[in-house]
Amino acid sequence: MKRQMRLKWIAAALALGMILGLAGCDADEEEEIVLRVANWEEYIDEGDWDEEDGFEFSDGTILCPELSMVEDFEAWYYETYGQKVRVEYSTFGTNEELYNQITIGDVYDLVCPSEYMIMKMLREGMLMPYSEAFHDKENELNYYVNGVSPFIAEVYDGLEIDGQKLNRYAAGYMWGTLGIVYNPEEVSEEQASSWSILLDDSLKRRITIKDSVRDALFAAVSIQYYDEITSPEFLSREDYSDALFQCLNRTDKDTVDGAEEILSAIKQNVYSFETDSGKADMVTGKVVANQQWSGDAVYTMDQADEDDVELCYAVPEECTNLWFDGWVLLSKGISEDPRKQQAAEAFVNFVSMPENAVRNMTYIGYTSVISGGESDKVLEFVEDTYGADPEEEDEEDLVEYDVTYFFGEDKDAVILTTEDQTRRQLYAQYPSQDVVDRSAVMACFDKEGNERINRMWTNVRCFDLKNWFQGLTR
Amino acid sequence: MKYTFHRKQLAIPYAIFLLLFVILPLLVVIFYAFTNEEGHVSFHNFVAFFQSGKTVGTLLYSIVIALVTTAICLLIAYPTAYILSKTGMKSGDALLLLFVLPMWINFTLRITALKEILTLLEGNLAFHPFANTIICMVYDFLPFMIMPLYNTLTKLDDSYVEAAQDLGAKKSHVFLKVILPLSVPGIVSGVTMVFLPSMTNYVVLDMVYNSTFIMGSLIGSYFSAYDWHNGSVISIILLLIICVITAISNRYTENDKADRRVGALK
Repeated sequence: MKRQMRLKWIAAALALGMILGLAGCDADEEEEIVLRVANWEEYIDEGDWDEEDGFEFSDGTILCPELSMVEDFEAWYYETYGQKVRVEYSTFGTNEELYNQITIGDVYDLVCPSEYMIMKMLREGMLMPYSEAFHDKENELNYYVNGVSPFIAEVYDGLEIDGQKLNRYAAGYMWGTLGIVYNPEEVSEEQASSWSILLDDSLKRRITIKDSVRDALFAAVSIQYYDEITSPEFLSREDYSDALFQCLNRTDKDTVDGAEEILSAIKQNVYSFETDSGKADMVTGKVVANQQWSGDAVYTMDQADEDDVELCYAVPEECTNLWFDGWVLLSKGISEDPRKQQAAEAFVNFVSMPENAVRNMTYIGYTSVISGGESDKVLEFVEDTYGADPEEEDEEDLVEYDVTYFFGEDKDAVILTTEDQTRRQLYAQYPSQDVVDRSAVMACFDKEGNERINRMWTNVRCFDLKNWFQGLTR
Repeated sequence: MKYTFHRKQLAIPYAIFLLLFVILPLLVVIFYAFTNEEGHVSFHNFVAFFQSGKTVGTLLYSIVIALVTTAICLLIAYPTAYILSKTGMKSGDALLLLFVLPMWINFTLRITALKEILTLLEGNLAFHPFANTIICMVYDFLPFMIMPLYNTLTKLDDSYVEAAQDLGAKKSHVFLKVILPLSVPGIVSGVTMVFLPSMTNYVVLDMVYNSTFIMGSLIGSYFSAYDWHNGSVISIILLLIICVITAISNRYTENDKADRRVGALK
């Protein structure tokens, strides 16, 4: 009896606490906006920089953040808009993982998938367009539209799916190319400058390819149509870019069958299909060449530099995949709440501030789509990181590296740099004009194409009964 | 409202767990395996799995990996467990600890270490993916084979062995006719604990740069392409294999029990 009494008291106390707690939540919720953001792992500055990592701009401001970008955003939003926002930040590992999470029922407001996933989500009606106010160039708080590189803006303008323009629904974040990281002591630049390096017998079991259907397929299709896309007639076509895009996005039966054959041969030749181990294996020398995204290439070369190993990056001569990750608003999350939409758009603008673009680039090694608009901070960062002082270096080793296409005509974006940087970090982070010219976006395929490609991938990776002896003994 | 406590109620937490994390997911898997994208009942995915030489190839490849792993584990574990059980009780336990100790460390860490040793020995691991897979699998699963064998062999009644010896059986006969048959339950539970997990343990293959899919990686590959139907089909096929193996092993252990009872009566 006594025991029961006590239990009752405890229960009453608990209930009271819960009521008070809930009431507290209610009061908070009216003021605080909760923004649910999902981004790639290790894809945003997390602060806590050492003093020596700090960067001083020419206007005297010093960039050396203590707090993470997300925390700084919350403070900035309160200062600027007078409203409290709390960011629930989560991460994902692959586009497919994000998509699966969303279809299973996880709700986000703002996510950052790759271009083809943006197209897929747009096609399936999961996205909502950015507001008119977001595109208003007069508003100086609109750092994205005022700071995005003219080159990226043009690429975005040209992309559409089912008649819907991509640039209404997506704001760029990072971009880059697909290429080959190689060890110049073992592999020549010419070898690395063609996708057929993946089939090169002299590098048997010393080269890796990405364990990703789309990246592997891109290389295979490029090998398959090498003769066509490098022929003088094709290169001189007026609609070259468009034709290249069409060719590399083929999913017809012949193309996919051909890719299956090439990838099966590649499987016999490579060290492995890797998801993440390629970077470390390059540095330790287990492999001497590695298919890689440009941002990871920068990271790999930086790591190797620390171990006194020199690695380089090459973009195949025939073509490369131009990829980008972008911020999109999910209609299910925002659910027509204007306060939420404003906060989400402000988040995109905040990470697009030139100094924040520099922050992210320093931290993660990828290339921001932001060129800075009126501000020269991004260019300053590039010059400071890669530029060479003609008084200190041998003048013969210096070259002019032109990235005007990215920063726009009104900036002097010719960087005086050491010769090796045209094959190394600078080349990976800001590819030269000719690389960009031979690049193509890989779109989201239709259902039939997707099925065919997935079947092809299963066939390549499954055990081949015909070669069972070879498969088991080696 | 008088509350009485029944012992059966202790099972409620487990029953809830079973329902939420075993039964319900299983129903979902069965649903997906036998429907197509339009939601109609369909066996097409099953037929397609067995029609494609590549997917059947991967099924056989997984079985071969599992068979070889199990066989090697058994060959190493049986003598080890036997010797351990024959040493004095105390030192036997201490020695057993040495074999079980590695299980306390996460297996990916252990494989990472083993990988470095193999790299020192072989140079380039990618030239022998199959052999390396087997080495790592055996290393990973060996304790699971030793444990049940050790348990069975220590409980083995020495009087049977002595009786056989007294009646003039040769050493090899004692082993083949007495010890081995009596340790069958240990072998069976060891085999089930090694065979099935090694069919799907694709992380090991990834880690030793074996780029060929086994059943586990095939499920993962289908799921990441949002193909729940084909992924579920593979899961069901694995489930069927589990059922067959359990049925066979039950038969062995039951026969064995029956034999022993008969033996005791005689």
